Amino acid sequence: MQDHNTDRELKERLNLIEHMIAEGRRNTESWGWMFILWGVVYYLAIAWSAWGHGVWAWPITVLIGVVVTGVVASRKTGNQPETTLGRAIGSIWIALGISMFLLFLALGVSGRLTDQHVFVAVISAILGMANGASALILRWKVQFACAVVWWVAAVGTCFGTSVQSLIVFLVAIFLCQIAFGIYGTIAEVQQRKRRGVIHA
Amino acid sequence: MPDLPELNPVVHGRLRLALLSLLSGVEEAEFTWLRAKTEATDGNLGAQLLKLEEARYVAVQKKFVLRKPQTLYRITETGRAALTEYIQALKQLLGPAI
Repeated sequence: MQDHNTDRELKERLNLIEHMIAEGRRNTESWGWMFILWGVVYYLAIAWSAWGHGVWAWPITVLIGVVVTGVVASRKTGNQPETTLGRAIGSIWIALGISMFLLFLALGVSGRLTDQHVFVAVISAILGMANGASALILRWKVQFACAVVWWVAAVGTCFGTSVQSLIVFLVAIFLCQIAFGIYGTIAEVQQRKRRGVIHA
Repeated sequence: MPDLPELNPVVHGRLRLALLSLLSGVEEAEFTWLRAKTEATDGNLGAQLLKLEEARYVAVQKKFVLRKPQTLYRITETGRAALTEYIQALKQLLGPAI
């Protein structure tokens, strides 16, 4: 009987270790809002460009997006500990933000942001790269599907008319930013509900 | 019959084991995060972390962020090795019961 109790206690210790390691590694940061926010940022930049201020539309909206993301993320993160995985994923998106800001600022100021096809192809390829890298690290099929959509958009825009290129871009933004962001937000809510109370 | 391993008493404590396991998955963690995850009281958590610190299983760093005190804990290499040995010992003790 005592052996049985000891076995049960030891198994319980083993379960506690597994549970706590998983709990520590669990990414508790919410990220769904970020995809939605950036989807809105892209739509605003496109609308602003169409309105006739193409030079500054992208650099300014991207800069505002970076600032809003930084402020909201710092408030949401709170006392969450940093994990190597979290830093790896975060660094991809930070590098993407810096690349996009510098590239579109330079293209806008130099007046070379004139070919819509090239612009959509470049931005889609960059987003495909970031989503693809993140998906491969996380082994996440849904995000990899988003990367594929961006890559298809990058290639497809090279062969269509200006209107088709714009439609491809708008659809890709909707699928990979807005819809994926909503999906992520719902998944986060469900994950929080599933998470039980831990007594240690 | 092979000798059964003894379990490290410092690691074996339930709360201390939970703390080491939590810290093994992150680079460093704040006291408040550890408290939230374990639902331990401040006194008990502080006492168990002190024991782990004395055994050199965790390292502590105190600093001020925006004038607020912040205490950060991270697992040391010694602590990680102790946790690994403890898990191996547990598995050996349980044997086919796992």
